[in-house]
Amino acid sequence: MSPTDAAWIVLILPLLGAVILGLGFRVWTGRVAGLIGTASVGLAFVFSLVSLFSLLGRDGEGERQIASSLYDYATVAGVDVKMEILVDPLSLIMLLVVTGVSTLIHLYSIAYMKGDAGYTRFFAYLNFFVFSMLVLVLAGNFVLLIVGWGFVGAASYMLISFWFRRGTATSAGIKAFVINVVGDIGMMLGVILLLRHTGTVDLLETFAIAEPTFGPESGNTGALTAGLLLIMVGAFAKSAQLPLHTWLPDAMEGPTPVSSLIHAATMVTAGVYLIARLHPLMELAPTAQLVGMIIGALTLLVAGTIALVQTDLKRVIAYSTMSQIGYMIMGVSASVYVAAMFHLVTHAFFKALLFMAAGSLISAMAGEQSMDKMRGFKKAMPFTYGAFIIGGLALAGIPPFSGFFSKDEILAGVADQGGWYWLLWAVGYIGAFLTAVYTWRMIFRAFWGTPVPEAVELEGGHLHHAAEHRNPKTGEIEDTEVGFPGPEHHIAERARPMKIAMSLLALLATVGGLLGIPHVLMPLEHFLEPVFHHDAPQHVAGGGVTILGLVLGTVVGIAGIFVAYRLWAVPPAPKDEAARQRVADNPALEATTISAGYQARFAGLHRFFLNKWYFDELIDLLIVRPVRAVGRVSRDGFERIVISGTLVGGTAGTVRGASALVRRMQSGYLRSYAAVTLVGAAAVLIYVLIQS
Amino acid sequence: MLHLSILLWLPLAVGLLGLLAPKRAARWVALVGGLLAVALSVAFVLDFDSGSGLLQHVTSDAWIEAFGVRYDLALTGLNVWLILLTTVGFAFATGWLATTDDGRGDRARQLFLHFGIAQTAVIGALLSQDVILFIAFFDLMLIPFFFLTVMFGNGDRVPAVIKMVVYTLVGSLLMLVAAVAIGVLSTPDGQPISFSIQTIAERGVPEGSQGWLFACFAAAFLVKMPSFPFHGWLADGYKAMPLPVLAVFSGVLSKVAAYGFLLIALPLLPEGVADLRWVVLIMAVISILYGSLIALTTTNARLVLAYSSVAQLGFITLGVFSLRTDGATGALLQSVNHGVAVFGAFLAVAILSQRAGGSEDLRDMGGIATKAPIFAVFFVIVTYAVLALPGTANFLGEILILRGLWEGPSVALAVVASLGIALAAVYALRLFILSSHNRVGPQAEPREASKAQLALLAVPVVLIIALAIHPQQTIRAADAAATQAVYPAAAVVDPVAAEQMAQEAARYRNCTGWSCFRSAPPAASDGAEVPGGTGGVPPEDIAIDPSTGQPVAPQGAAPDQGAAGEGEEIVIDENGEVVGDDEEMVIEEDAQTIEGTNR
Repeated sequence: MSPTDAAWIVLILPLLGAVILGLGFRVWTGRVAGLIGTASVGLAFVFSLVSLFSLLGRDGEGERQIASSLYDYATVAGVDVKMEILVDPLSLIMLLVVTGVSTLIHLYSIAYMKGDAGYTRFFAYLNFFVFSMLVLVLAGNFVLLIVGWGFVGAASYMLISFWFRRGTATSAGIKAFVINVVGDIGMMLGVILLLRHTGTVDLLETFAIAEPTFGPESGNTGALTAGLLLIMVGAFAKSAQLPLHTWLPDAMEGPTPVSSLIHAATMVTAGVYLIARLHPLMELAPTAQLVGMIIGALTLLVAGTIALVQTDLKRVIAYSTMSQIGYMIMGVSASVYVAAMFHLVTHAFFKALLFMAAGSLISAMAGEQSMDKMRGFKKAMPFTYGAFIIGGLALAGIPPFSGFFSKDEILAGVADQGGWYWLLWAVGYIGAFLTAVYTWRMIFRAFWGTPVPEAVELEGGHLHHAAEHRNPKTGEIEDTEVGFPGPEHHIAERARPMKIAMSLLALLATVGGLLGIPHVLMPLEHFLEPVFHHDAPQHVAGGGVTILGLVLGTVVGIAGIFVAYRLWAVPPAPKDEAARQRVADNPALEATTISAGYQARFAGLHRFFLNKWYFDELIDLLIVRPVRAVGRVSRDGFERIVISGTLVGGTAGTVRGASALVRRMQSGYLRSYAAVTLVGAAAVLIYVLIQS
Repeated sequence: MLHLSILLWLPLAVGLLGLLAPKRAARWVALVGGLLAVALSVAFVLDFDSGSGLLQHVTSDAWIEAFGVRYDLALTGLNVWLILLTTVGFAFATGWLATTDDGRGDRARQLFLHFGIAQTAVIGALLSQDVILFIAFFDLMLIPFFFLTVMFGNGDRVPAVIKMVVYTLVGSLLMLVAAVAIGVLSTPDGQPISFSIQTIAERGVPEGSQGWLFACFAAAFLVKMPSFPFHGWLADGYKAMPLPVLAVFSGVLSKVAAYGFLLIALPLLPEGVADLRWVVLIMAVISILYGSLIALTTTNARLVLAYSSVAQLGFITLGVFSLRTDGATGALLQSVNHGVAVFGAFLAVAILSQRAGGSEDLRDMGGIATKAPIFAVFFVIVTYAVLALPGTANFLGEILILRGLWEGPSVALAVVASLGIALAAVYALRLFILSSHNRVGPQAEPREASKAQLALLAVPVVLIIALAIHPQQTIRAADAAATQAVYPAAAVVDPVAAEQMAQEAARYRNCTGWSCFRSAPPAASDGAEVPGGTGGVPPEDIAIDPSTGQPVAPQGAAPDQGAAGEGEEIVIDENGEVVGDDEEMVIEEDAQTIEGTNR
């Protein structure tokens, strides 16, 4: 089977799963739905492997880039858009990650979502998401790329709003959708601009003529830069980079497997993939690369500071995701493609793992996500704790876990370019320190110390259930008809599918680094290298920088963990009365005895971080409110007074019926309408006469 | 057998036949008639030769000989899909009416008669190739809707419908005057007067008069759409009409106006278009923003759709007035897409309002998706079509229109118009969320829609999906005719760009340049057949080979590409290799090494 045939099958399978689940939503209830969903994605993974081996079977490097088209999608005005996929090592890596991680998350969901009122619907959406993501990854031309881009946005919207009776979930959904549409528009305009010069939307054709069309001698570099910047708006929106990131934390309203799959492992990394995909163009536009690097660096720093002070467990991980993607965006923009893709892969492993573990912990808390209420789960949930430890070590970049190699490789590659790039390198390590601190803050706060009642209850063998569930944000009583927080909760310790999925990911997060140990073992590099080979200076850092980075990375990571340990693991008993009272009111706050002191001391800074640098407020003030206000003024003012009021003679009359009709024909309405319209027409005529 | 007159008069005949039927059976007669019309138009679509830019299935007879008015009908790339949209829309609305009390009640026969008249009028306007005939049908469209609204509408319908009629009539009268003037002015001395569009196009309208003639036509079309600031009748008119009637009114009739521009204004009055296009473009872009902003804030579900139509029609107008193949093709595609989406959206609103105790206020609705899962899925698909999610044909239409704007009149216009896409996402999703998600509304009674309603709603949903998967057939039919329609005006604005556009459009056809698209044999002095016209190509277009519209590849690939037959199945990659049927394209390594060495 040729690689493209297998890829087409990979593409179709999840769609088939979604359709089967959707059509039979009354038939497949309960576990069967979960199995259908998992099987379709699992099979897709198998066929991805088939495609991989088929591609590896081809020797010549040039033959590893294959496009295949089914039919003409739209041929108009000299542009031919085909239903076309592109299989090469880059898309294949993404294919494997997407289908592989998705399979595990589907498996996890079989148990995690059990008992939810929308169980079948959940798997149908999830399968649709995987299909959309595969369209995005496999797209052979810009139009299909945008189609995949839009589809994942829609799938993400549906899954964020999955528990749609919660006002917070629906508003998070629409926010995510609209910000992503802004990204889509950026891409559309960017593609139109590039199309103007290339005359084709096909990716390979575009790359083939990139150099003569956009190269330094062509004089079109400005257009290329503008086009790429527009396309990068799409990348930034999807990958939650500044300033289009505000939807990602809110997206945590979705069920935890969704956060794990879409908002950690796959969809949010699409921006990284996009830039890597477009590398032949990016290489010709240094300005666009620079913007990418700066945005990536800023994002990783800003997200790190916010994650440091948030108390919502899932949001901390969400900000961490943002920050890690910042690294990747910085990497691909600095032409360190292989390392960035490597980090994308390992990040998918450990971040999916962390979210799964967080889901388990949240289940034990009966849906509560605030760390202010969690403490001492170490004994009650040893497996989940272990998963957190592994994920945390990988995220903090401690050897030999996977995050260690990949992150440092990006930074080494950036530093290798010399000059002020060392600044970005330094920002990267500051970010790494923050990462270690907030990750381990989370772990120490939730698992160490005196167990909260929920943990004690679990140690006694009973899973906590709240009498009535309230939305922590609004205090509204939850409508459990659509699910959340559902009649049942499931923790990894008791649900085998969750345990299997998490174990496998933990294994991958531990040994994933083997895919690319710098200068020693680099299968990923060898596989991907042909894709990027013609890009002149490969930023594979020299031994010195790499070793410095690896050592520094380890030191920074350990230092971060140490700081977190000192602050939150086993803080001393509170000294002053106020602090004692706080802990008495809520024993879980025991962990914050020291940090509360720092918070008080740096109250301004703390508030600034807690309010997420006021990005939401800024966007609200600059965009949302003005738009609403103009809309309201148009509707209540202009529309009522000018258009249907003064202009056409008053609102609808009080007299009805045919006799009134006749009367009005003779006087009033008719004449005034006619008069007004004629005046308008006369105005147009006068304009014409003046013109001619 | 396939005769356009049959299609044209069938709906009216069925309406009259319905008068003879028993009251209870009227709806079945109407429904069968509607489906027959659909079948007939499907036959026309299948029979249509997309490759040719010529008029097809021409019917030509004398009508009012004294004035040279003829009964000329023809199928073209511009109208073939709109005809199908019309018959589907009317059949859909007939089926919908059949489920309502009006469709079963005492006045059902009148209802379906007016509906039949309306359908005949719309099809007539679409098929006419004679200006006066067009206007006759265009104005006939209004009358049945007047009666339908007065007899079956809601609220303060009389003042509302009067307002609408006056607005429309004033526009129509201006158009009539202009039409007569066109016929008279274009007739050379000593020859018989003619209103045939083709004849007028060949004779030409005096340049000096084109401005005001165009303004008169534009007034009629812009009121009908409606476009800002001629939309004064919209809110009241939409509120007064019964929803099934409104679905066709908004989905089909507004498109006739956009079509009118392509049929008459652009080909016959190129100078006028060139002079005044910016007025229309700016009105259209204001329509997009203004309509979207109001749709964003209003709480009446019906008005959300009403103002969203203003915005969508703004897009369609922009596409037409981009004066480019892609823009105009996108506008035609978008006309079909928007029609289909609107059918579904209005039916969804009807169902929602039924579940909210008759209220159409979004504040009374909410949360019905749990108990109405099938409806919710259908509605979300319709919503995605309304907001033009990438992957729907609506998205394709918008990207074509944006490209037309970008390449044609102005980049800034494309950027401003694209804001409308973001706003559409907000108002369409807001409509969906407030009505189907969130908590159960104060008046909402969550229940699944009835089987008949779901079956009806499935029609637009299936069409949306079908168009999304394979939009090519619609585009393919439209692009030759669209190029023909916009070329004369485009050539006045910028002859070089127009020729280049024609060449690009001809890239996948068996000919070159404008000569592909002329319905009449090209004039000898035109020089249009000379491939190239290289002299006039501005220097910044160096990367585009003007003879093929192809970017110049390193090896100077394949100048014979234009002659590659229909060109659909054959792909030539950048190395000039013809890629065969296995549909796999292997880009050889050397293409990349060349790039590497050039660096």
